[in-house]
Amino acid sequence: MTTPTSDQTTGWIMVLPALACVAVFSLYPAMDSFVLSLYRLYVTLPGLEASFIGFGNYEQLFQDPVAHQAFLTTLGFVLLSTTFEILLGTGIALVIHERFKGRGWVRGAVLIPWAIPTVVASQMWRFLANDQYGAINFVLFGDRVNAYIPWLADPWTAFGVIVMVDVWKTSSFAGLLVLAGLQVIPDGIYDAARIDGATAWQRFWHITLPLLKPALLAALLFRTIDAFRVFDLVFVMTQGGPGDATQVIQFYGYKTLFTEGRVGYGTTISVTVFVATLLLSLLYLLTVGSKLLERERT
Amino acid sequence: MLLLTFVSAIHESSAGQTRNANTVPRVLRFVTWKADQPAVWDKAIQRFEHAYPHIRVEREIAPHSSTAYHDLLTQKLKNRDDSFDLFLMDVTWPAEFAAAGWALPLDDYFPRNAREKFLPATIAASMYARRIYGVPSRIDSGMLYYRKDLLEKYGFSPPATWHDLVHQARTILEGEHPTHPLLRGYSGQFQQYEGLVCDMLEFVGSHNGSLLTEDGTRSNLAAPESMQAVRFVREQIVQRIATAAVLTYQEPESLAVFVQGKAVFHRNWPYAWGLANDPRHSKIVGAVGVTTLPHFAHGSSVSALGGWLYGISAYSHHPDDAWTFIAFMTSPAMQKHFAVHASLAPARIALYADPEVLRVNPQYTALFPVFQTSRPRPRTPVYPIISHILQRYFSRVLAFPETDIVEEAQEADRRINWFLELAAGTRF
Repeated sequence: MTTPTSDQTTGWIMVLPALACVAVFSLYPAMDSFVLSLYRLYVTLPGLEASFIGFGNYEQLFQDPVAHQAFLTTLGFVLLSTTFEILLGTGIALVIHERFKGRGWVRGAVLIPWAIPTVVASQMWRFLANDQYGAINFVLFGDRVNAYIPWLADPWTAFGVIVMVDVWKTSSFAGLLVLAGLQVIPDGIYDAARIDGATAWQRFWHITLPLLKPALLAALLFRTIDAFRVFDLVFVMTQGGPGDATQVIQFYGYKTLFTEGRVGYGTTISVTVFVATLLLSLLYLLTVGSKLLERERT
Repeated sequence: MLLLTFVSAIHESSAGQTRNANTVPRVLRFVTWKADQPAVWDKAIQRFEHAYPHIRVEREIAPHSSTAYHDLLTQKLKNRDDSFDLFLMDVTWPAEFAAAGWALPLDDYFPRNAREKFLPATIAASMYARRIYGVPSRIDSGMLYYRKDLLEKYGFSPPATWHDLVHQARTILEGEHPTHPLLRGYSGQFQQYEGLVCDMLEFVGSHNGSLLTEDGTRSNLAAPESMQAVRFVREQIVQRIATAAVLTYQEPESLAVFVQGKAVFHRNWPYAWGLANDPRHSKIVGAVGVTTLPHFAHGSSVSALGGWLYGISAYSHHPDDAWTFIAFMTSPAMQKHFAVHASLAPARIALYADPEVLRVNPQYTALFPVFQTSRPRPRTPVYPIISHILQRYFSRVLAFPETDIVEEAQEADRRINWFLELAAGTRF
C-alpha cells in the first residue's frame, strides 16, 4: 500500500530526533571547536584580541616538542594497554564462557574493576603504589622496608603503573565484548570437531579464534579509541610527571586550555585528538565492517 | 492614579524587605578550597554570621591543590558565572585575574593607608598595573623544619648553608640507620606541580640565581648561578639525602614523612608548625625546630612567597556584602584567630608583636625577617604558562639524571621568553 517514497519519509521522520541530537551535541561543538582552533586567543591577554590565524596553531603544534612527546607517550600507552587488555580479556572471556559452579558470581566479580569510577580507582592505585604504606611494596618486599620502591617517582615505572592500572581496569570490558562473540559460536561445530578427534588447542586455534575475529576487532576498536583519550588516570595519579614522562596528549590539551587559558591552541590539540580517533574509527570500521558484511552474505 | 498606587506599593514592599533583613539573610557565595584545618574555618565563618546576621555565607569547596582550584575557578569566571561573589586567589594569580577582567579592583574599598598595616610583600602580590585586586589573608614563606632532638644528639646547630645541611643529614643518617632504617635526610615538594616552582626558586635564589632577570622581561634559567643550584639539588638532595620518592610529594605527603619521624629536615610553609606539634597528627611533638632556609656559600637565604588573597568577582551582584566579609576575615581579630588555631602566619604586621600569637608560634619572632623578604614568583598574566614550562624543566632534570641541564635550561628559557614577549606585546 505504501510507496517507497512515503516509507522513506517515515524513516526520515523517525531518525530526525536522533539526528537533531547528534547535530546539537556533537556536530555543532565539533565545528565550533574547529573554528576556535583557527584563532589566536589567550583568555588572560585580552589586549591581544582574538585574531584569525588560519592553520597557524596547527603549524605550531607540529613544531611543539612537548606535544610530540605527549603524542608518543599516548601512542605507547595505547599500544601496550590495548595489547594486554585484548589478551587478558580473551582469557577472561574463555574462562567465564565455560560452565562451572558459581559462574554467575565470577562473571559479576570480573566486572568490578570496570564498574569502579576511574578517578576512584586511580586514587586507590596511587595509594597502593605509595613508597611507604603502599600494598604493592608490602606484597613484594614484606618487612624489608628499605627495598620499598616509589613507583611513581621513576619515569619508566610511573608509565608502567599507568598502563598496568588501565589494563587492570578495562580488561574485563574487553572480555565482555569477546564473551559476546564466543556466545554466538554454535556448539555443534565443537561437537563435530570433537568427533573428528580435534584436541582442545586445535579447537581453539581453528574454530574459536577465526570465528571470534569480529568480536576481537570490535573490542580492539573500543579499547584503542578509549585508550587514546586517556586523561583521568594521569590527572589523578601523576599530573603528567615526573618530567612529563606520563603526560598524555589529552592531559597536555587540558593544561593548555583550562590552566593556561590558551583557548586557540588548546582547542587545536583537542581537534587533533578528535581527528585522530575519527581516522582510527574509520579504519577499523572499514576492516571490521567489511568482515561483518562478508559473514552476513555467506 | 491606579498605576501610581501600584508603583508605590512595590516600592513599599521592597523597602519592607530591607527592614526585614534580619529574618531573611542575604546569601554570599564564597568559592574556596578544602582547608588543612577545616574546623578553624568553620568557626571563623560562624563568627562572621554572628556579627552580621543579615548575611549568610555559603561556601563552595574546591580541591585542596592550588592548580585544581585555579582551573575550577577560572572556568567559572570564563563563563562569566555570576552565582558567586568572592574567592581566594593564590599570590600568583592577581596579574592573570586582573588582565582577564575577572577580579574587581578594590582601590575604593582598600585605600593606601589601610594597606600599610599589611606586610609589603603581600600587598605587592595583590597589585597589578597599579591597582589592587586582593586583600591578604595570610603570608606563606618557605621555611626549614628540623628535628631538634637529632641535631642536638649529634652536636649540630641548624644548618646555615645547603652544604651544611647535606653534611649534617648524612652524618645523622649514618648514625641512625642501624636503629632507624626508614629515616631520610630531607623531605620537600618535588612533584611536577606548582609547589616544585617554589622549592626550586628557593634553591636557585639562594645561589644568586633567579627564574627571571631582575626587570622580569627575560628568563634566567641558563645563567650559571641558576643552573649550578639545580645541579646541586639533583646530585646532593633528590637522589642522595632524600629518596627519589620526593618526586611524588606535594605538601601533605612530604609533611606526613616528617611528622612520622622519618625525616631529619623538612621544607614547608608556616602551617606545618601547628600540625607537627599536634599530638593527633604528629609523633615528633616538642622535637620540632624551625628556622630560615639555608643558602649557598656565596648567596643569602631566599624564601618563596606564597599565601592567599581574598578577591571579589567582577560578576558579583553583592560586592558590598563581599567586602564586609573580607574586611571581617582580614581584621586583626580574625588573623589572630587563624594564627593561634591554625598557625597561619598573619599578613598584618602588628600581630607579630601580639603575645598570644607569639605564645603559640614563638618562631615568628625569629622568622619575621623571612616574611618581610619573601621572593615572589614571576608576576605576569601568562604565569600559568610560565609555571608549566618551569615545572617541566625542573621535573625533567631531577627525574632523568642523564639529561643535560644546559640544554634543558636553554630550551626552557627560549620558550618562556616567547610567552613573555607575547604578554609584553613585543611579539606580534
